[in-house]
Amino acid sequence: MARAPTFNELFDPDFLAALQRFSLRARRVPRSGRSADQASRDRGAGLEFADFKSYVPGDDLRAIDWNIYRRLGRLFVRVFEERRDLPVYLLIDRSSSMFLETPPRIRAGLRVALGLAAVALADHDSVALFSFSDKLTADTRAAAGKAGLARLAERLAAQHEQGGSALAAAAREFGKRRLRAGLLVIVSDFFDPMGADAIADSLATSRHRLLLVQLAKAADADPTRIAALRGDVRLLDCETGEALDVNVTPAVLARYREAYEAFATRLTTLAAERGAGLLRVDVDADVLGQLAPLFAGGTLSV
Amino acid sequence: MTFANLPAAGVLAGLAAIAALLFVLQRLRVRHARVTVPTTLFWRDAAREAPVRVLRERFRHWLAYLLILAICALLWIGFTAPEFEGGSGVRHHVLFLDGSAHNAGGDDFARAVAALEADLRTLPRSRREVIWGGAHNVTLLMAGEDRLLLAPRLAGLTPEASPTKLREQLRLASIPGAWPERVEFVVYGRAPITADALRKTRPGVRVSRGLEYAAPAANRGIVALGLADARSGSWDRVDALVRVGASDAALPTTGVREELFARLDDAPWATPPDEVDGGFVFRDLPAAGGLLTVALPPGDAIALDDAASVRLPRRAVLGVAAAPEVIGAVADAIAADPGLRLVAPAEAAVVVRLAGTEFGGALPALRFVPTDAQDAAFLITYPTTPEAGAGGAEKRLLNGLEALGLDQIDATGLATALGRPVGLAVAAGERPGVSVWGTLLDAGFNFTGERDFPLFLSRALRYLAGEQAWPRFLAAATPVQDGAAGWSSDTSPPALDAAGARFVPGQGSRLVREGDWAVALLNDAVTRRDRGAALGRFGGAADGMTATAVATWLALLVIALLALEWVLFRRGLMP
Repeated sequence: MARAPTFNELFDPDFLAALQRFSLRARRVPRSGRSADQASRDRGAGLEFADFKSYVPGDDLRAIDWNIYRRLGRLFVRVFEERRDLPVYLLIDRSSSMFLETPPRIRAGLRVALGLAAVALADHDSVALFSFSDKLTADTRAAAGKAGLARLAERLAAQHEQGGSALAAAAREFGKRRLRAGLLVIVSDFFDPMGADAIADSLATSRHRLLLVQLAKAADADPTRIAALRGDVRLLDCETGEALDVNVTPAVLARYREAYEAFATRLTTLAAERGAGLLRVDVDADVLGQLAPLFAGGTLSV
Repeated sequence: MTFANLPAAGVLAGLAAIAALLFVLQRLRVRHARVTVPTTLFWRDAAREAPVRVLRERFRHWLAYLLILAICALLWIGFTAPEFEGGSGVRHHVLFLDGSAHNAGGDDFARAVAALEADLRTLPRSRREVIWGGAHNVTLLMAGEDRLLLAPRLAGLTPEASPTKLREQLRLASIPGAWPERVEFVVYGRAPITADALRKTRPGVRVSRGLEYAAPAANRGIVALGLADARSGSWDRVDALVRVGASDAALPTTGVREELFARLDDAPWATPPDEVDGGFVFRDLPAAGGLLTVALPPGDAIALDDAASVRLPRRAVLGVAAAPEVIGAVADAIAADPGLRLVAPAEAAVVVRLAGTEFGGALPALRFVPTDAQDAAFLITYPTTPEAGAGGAEKRLLNGLEALGLDQIDATGLATALGRPVGLAVAAGERPGVSVWGTLLDAGFNFTGERDFPLFLSRALRYLAGEQAWPRFLAAATPVQDGAAGWSSDTSPPALDAAGARFVPGQGSRLVREGDWAVALLNDAVTRRDRGAALGRFGGAADGMTATAVATWLALLVIALLALEWVLFRRGLMP
């Protein structure tokens, strides 16, 4: 099994500097967050004018619009939009499959997570780190500010392999936590033994906006790239330990490709149904280059 | 179809075993390579489509089985080296490599070997054999043996100083059952065969020659070498007769006395020979056991017949002591023989005495005995030797009769004078002995006055002294004149002449007795370079297909099947 990248490997100044041109914009964030740069439904003493309302005793007299009063003889006060933060929840898959190959998927996954966190923190949003394997673990509480990036990188570098991949269960558990609605970024290979449908079902009732980061290898879609997969093989699932004897023939390979294609299509459908983003990252290629298309015009709108 | 490595039943059994083994293997669970993957999620459905093979799984892949069976069967058949015969008229090939002196000229032998090896490649190995025809005919390569074995067996073989044994081999080929019904007998060399010998081959035997030969180069050699008592009368000298033969009239065989070169042991014999009756005689050679070698100048086609050798006899004057009672009867005969001399008993090698006297002590004696002391007039006692064996008495009697010159005596006249039969008997004893009725010495019988009495006395005394007889004249295929007892040939079995009486040295043989040898001569047919009857040129194996050709086709078929298997596998039509 491979290991997660160290802090020094992960906290790459060049990589982080390249991310400074990107930003994260939410259409509207829920109320009761911290003051930040994202548009929200909160009305108050912001800078962006939002609406008028009838004056009631106790309203700030400075907000009375005297021009309207002159025309209509009634008191109205100007209401401003409050700017709040977007809670970003990074849900990292640390199951065995993420640590298996060379290079391991976790390497690209942590790099993507750190990049998105850097963009969010630069926008004064808060970032919370969760990880999952057989169960969900809250690694850090929501924190904001650029200073939190180093601490986050440390926690990411400390991720280690831990058992099977129960994404559907973890997503369900995450939903039960009643966290403030935000952006849920799932960084995983999505190889939940329950299948893509179970993952979709677990996310169906989620209040969060979704960004699915699928960590893939070319051999996932085309197993003939793995030289050992010829003839009669015993496949050992690195997470469940399940052994599966397969006689690899062209017909079996064709059936495999069909199954993988259905899986990939289901993820795409899930993202479309939820209006979520889906980023497929080839773990063998450069991460930064694959992140850039996600930020169309430099901004990722969620 | 025949198989070089196995009988047909073995081939079929092998095929059945292969089919059974492949069938079992087809049903056995395969040994899986273990591969760890991130997930088996997508493989589960795929594996459901093509269940993996398990131990003793249902036999499903008929195509794969038949294909691998075909490939293995072809390889197995290729191993058994099948040879397809063109029909019932297939011939067995006997390749006779001439290793005789006939094939010793120039590059004849090398050409013969090359032609034989070339033909060998084209002949099915189950139906050919190679025989070396030198001094003895020896099988070099048996039917079924790989031709690669021939080269090491040929290493070091060169034509031998021997005439050909081709005729004997053809006679063997004609024995029913010795070889298959139809035999192609191919001669690689110049060995001649007479038209008469060809006629005597049985039907089905065809004789041909493996390569064409130009007319042989001219040759001259020694064809006869003989010894005789010296004409000068000297007992301890012999004369040697040499005859020269040639293949071409251009090469003289007479008048070459200046060219003949003789060597006695290591020293040249300076005296040139006399030319007598077409031959050459070296006079007065010392009969002291030396080796006489006569040679012609080299440079002709065959060097092997340019020299011949003969071991000269070892002869000395024999000292004889005679008792006073008999000296009167034998003195004249002894005096007449230059090889005998009367001496005192102390100097004698043999004695002549009456029976019952002690004259000469233990020396071998010619004894005259009373008539009633022995049944036969002449009794020859011979020392018991292991080689005599049972049934040798009759032969010894005949030999003794001749050796003592008794066949020359007027036995009928003696018998009439004695009034009783005169017979010869032989008996075993500790040492040689000759006993004769003393009555024969009486003047009334005139035995001592017989013309042949000196011959009898001389032979008897030499027999008693243990002198070996020696052939007086030796030539290839010519009966030995006398003294043949105990001689044998070291290169061919002893043979008798047409009457079954006289020993005939084989052509080119070397006569040997008790480790010594007398003469080595080649056949004058070699020297004359006889070509014999014309033989047809061998046309090669026109029928059947050799194992090599079959193996080649089988290999090509296997490659084609492997390619087919690969294509089927790539297309997913085979597991």
